[in-house]
Amino acid sequence: MTSPTGVRIATAVAASVLATGLLTACGSDDGKATLNWYINPDGQDTLNQLAETCSTDDYTIKIQLLPSSATDQRTQLARRLAAKDSSTDLMSLDPVFVPEFANAEWLLPFEGDLADQVLDDDVLKGAAETVQWDDKVVAAPQWANTQVVWYRKSLAEAAGLDMTQPVTWDQIIDAAADNDGTVGVQANKYEAYVVWINALIQGAGGNIIDPATAEDGRDAKVDVDSDAGRKAASVIAKLADSPARQPDFTTSNEGTSLGRMYPENGAGEFMVNWTFVYKNYEGLIGKPGGPADDQAFDDLGWARYPQTVAGEESKPPIGGIDIGVGAYTKHPDFAQQAAVCITDAKAQTALAVNDGLMPSRQSVYDSAELKEAYPHDLLQLFSESIDSGGPRPKSAFYSQVSSAIQSRWHSPASVNENTPKKSAEFLEAVLKGEALL
Amino acid sequence: MTSSIWNKVGTVIGAVLILVWCLLPVAWIISLSFKSQEAVTNGSTGFFPKSGGGAGWSNYKDVIQDDQFGRAIINSIGISLIATVLSVIFATLAAYAIARLEFKGKKFVLTTALVIAMFPVVSLVGPLFDMWRTLGIYDTWLGLIIPYMSFTLPLAIWTLSAFFREIPWEMEQAAQVDGATSWQAFRKVIVPLAAPGVFTAAILTFFFAWNDFVFGISLTSTENARPIPAALSFFVGADPFNRPASLLAAGAVVATVPVVVLVLFFQRKIVAGLTAGAVKG
Amino acid sequence: MSHAATAPPRDSDRARAENSLGRRLVAPAIVLMLLVTAFPMLRALYLSLFNYSLTAPDDREFVGLSNYWTALSDSLFWRDTANTVGIMIVTVAFELVIGFAFAMVMHRIIFARGTIRTSILIPYGVITVVSGFAWQFAFSNTNGFVNGWLPFVGDDFNWFSEYPSSMVAIMASEIWKTTPFMSLLLLAGLAQVSDDMIEAAKVDGASWWQRLYRVILPNMRSAIMVAVLFRALDAYRIFDNIFVMTAGANNTESISFLTYRQVIEQFQLGIGSALSVLLFLSVLVVAFVIVKLFRVNLADARQEA
Repeated sequence: MTSPTGVRIATAVAASVLATGLLTACGSDDGKATLNWYINPDGQDTLNQLAETCSTDDYTIKIQLLPSSATDQRTQLARRLAAKDSSTDLMSLDPVFVPEFANAEWLLPFEGDLADQVLDDDVLKGAAETVQWDDKVVAAPQWANTQVVWYRKSLAEAAGLDMTQPVTWDQIIDAAADNDGTVGVQANKYEAYVVWINALIQGAGGNIIDPATAEDGRDAKVDVDSDAGRKAASVIAKLADSPARQPDFTTSNEGTSLGRMYPENGAGEFMVNWTFVYKNYEGLIGKPGGPADDQAFDDLGWARYPQTVAGEESKPPIGGIDIGVGAYTKHPDFAQQAAVCITDAKAQTALAVNDGLMPSRQSVYDSAELKEAYPHDLLQLFSESIDSGGPRPKSAFYSQVSSAIQSRWHSPASVNENTPKKSAEFLEAVLKGEALL
Repeated sequence: MTSSIWNKVGTVIGAVLILVWCLLPVAWIISLSFKSQEAVTNGSTGFFPKSGGGAGWSNYKDVIQDDQFGRAIINSIGISLIATVLSVIFATLAAYAIARLEFKGKKFVLTTALVIAMFPVVSLVGPLFDMWRTLGIYDTWLGLIIPYMSFTLPLAIWTLSAFFREIPWEMEQAAQVDGATSWQAFRKVIVPLAAPGVFTAAILTFFFAWNDFVFGISLTSTENARPIPAALSFFVGADPFNRPASLLAAGAVVATVPVVVLVLFFQRKIVAGLTAGAVKG
Repeated sequence: MSHAATAPPRDSDRARAENSLGRRLVAPAIVLMLLVTAFPMLRALYLSLFNYSLTAPDDREFVGLSNYWTALSDSLFWRDTANTVGIMIVTVAFELVIGFAFAMVMHRIIFARGTIRTSILIPYGVITVVSGFAWQFAFSNTNGFVNGWLPFVGDDFNWFSEYPSSMVAIMASEIWKTTPFMSLLLLAGLAQVSDDMIEAAKVDGASWWQRLYRVILPNMRSAIMVAVLFRALDAYRIFDNIFVMTAGANNTESISFLTYRQVIEQFQLGIGSALSVLLFLSVLVVAFVIVKLFRVNLADARQEA
């Protein structure tokens, strides 16, 4: 019974294993080096073009798409780098993950000339800070993101709110509530919620983690439990109780509040959101969800991120993308050269004009193309916000910091003056490894 | 007599309820796949697309032409088929031994199968990630085929041993008495009797492998080896902040088509396999 | 009724040959099953004794059992366990009752048997993740139909903003997908209850209800219990639906989801491995409790699907 069948079965198994092996070995090199560039979904078309123009005779840049959530992007990249993957050459990194990756020695630092090309005086301060770790330049700033408050001028007028002066959160919440408008934020249990919380706390003069101790890793000093923290909590609590909050408030993200600027019923909203919003509405003129016509589009206003405390300068959030080179890449020189090319002024201009992803270099803000694509005061607002913005804690354990804050501050409907204290205690325990996150 | 009419009416109502229960969400997902992405971003409730919110077949076109999803389809088909073939081969050998032979350790085999069937696969994600990256099979087909094989073995072994127990083995001896060689007897008598069971075990194994999610998201990080369920959860559409519901629905329908086809053609075999032949017809 | 060859006397050459053949035939299956489970579990046990974060591999330090202490003394662990047990109990209860009703209907159906069986298998074959998405969109307040169909729920109600309603949505997806499978298992058990007994009970004047309680159910006991055991353990390991529908928001995490997060998102291999071991042990505990509580016949469990 065994002999003929046994042999047949053994051959079948061997054949399958061989076939598997061949299939998994798919993808062979053929001369030119291939650099894999892992991008996030913002601005895909332009990035695809950049990949083409920056490819040279020595190498081709191939685009790979990451998931849309920053947390998922980090997970995917971290797993590849933890597996010492040599095919991860270029990565589009959210600035908050740069310290973690740099600390794990997953990023190849830029040195000498390349470092000077990547980081010079032209780069805005907020963006430049995000690529430095342990006195090294570990990534190249590509585009910088910030948030401003977008609003309907008609709504602001009806409320009697002068938007040329700095406004506070209290003011816009009251203005919206009294005039049939809403306030749009990001308050789902994810990274952008921490962006909001961080901006509120820094706007009140505080910090989640004391910046002087951030590089201490697990021993960093947690500063959430402070007056600034409590002021931030009170803003969130106020919006949660106000008629100005949107129905999906507790699960809101960057996309959910877009539709409420030009709603079928209602006066519009005050929305804090990233820079892409301008191009977004411009592209939606006459379409559902957007302004009905050019006139309606002119009703769109913008102003600096609201203050947490009257009189104290607001700290707009800093985001964007930095380009990192994987430490295990087979082509370190090529990869770094490519990184310089995809982050230079030309690349940044294309991203800004086509996709609303703002530059991290001042010179690009002053360029003719940008002046044509965007209103002058909007450009000034963006570059100002990025230059004076407030970064999130630069810690190698940032993902734990963020998750800990999210877990205690969500749902926003339950935030009160005890929330900062509870979250501070929890974060300290997590960093010490004494609590489950 | 009225009780028997009530019985009939009740049975008919029951049958209709069963059909509605099983098919409503499927109809829902299909209807969702015909809504346009813009309509979904702005909100479009109900089963039928609002006027102007219909997308015809464009979601399906987008999904099939999408590089990552197209690759995911190939991954799923390839990995599931290979895992199914190998698993059924191993299971056939084991089930034959269990149904036909006496050997020490039969209880151990069956208990192991039981433990595997109850195993929380999430527990393995950490160590397997560590092991696979050391061995270099992380994010490869082989890295998924191995766990799929292990976890489909219990079901395959049970199904096959139940079938094998029903085969009248003495017919093999009768054929040999009639002059056939032992190989001919096996091929002409036993194989046709065992084939339906093997086929059923293969279908059930395929369903299991096709359905896996945990290994698909933890042991892969690019579309090299990512199977369909994992790919669906990473879908990005026109609106990068919200799941593209209608696009996902189209992808989900595409992923469900093989299942529906298999069920349509082999419904009897599958039911027989799942209930070890107790349910007739 | 087994057609297996009768066992030859022990220690004869034939018995030894059969023994050896049997073991060789099962060897590949056994090796594969243990390779992917026993060996990694041992490794998890080893890793769980360290404080080991994948993003800081040089900071790895031996901490003994303190990871277990952290996990077991943390309210998050117990909250998620309570969640999981709650889901298990509620979903199995619903599936048993509804599944049994379906089984009774299918038992009596003569016409359209093929159609009914086909539709019963569709939820079984549909990918769990697909079911999760389908129900997530169904319960969505911007794109779903549930709010429109339920008269007592406002059109704007966001099912995923709070714990109770999120759990309802998750359980709906679970129950929808597995009730048909459960009904098949119960149908198999039902088909094995001899018609003679039921006829005899009818002749004795028993009502429909009494026939159900005193004849049918007791004779199906072992089939029901095996079905309950498997379904309950499946429910205890719930992961796909939670990942897709809420990603654990609003405290809807299960114990599997917690373990996954620690290992894959937090990259904490030390405490993640401790949780993996605890998850495995807790499944054994739950299985043990169910077997003892319901007096499940393990021999049946080992040989049936």
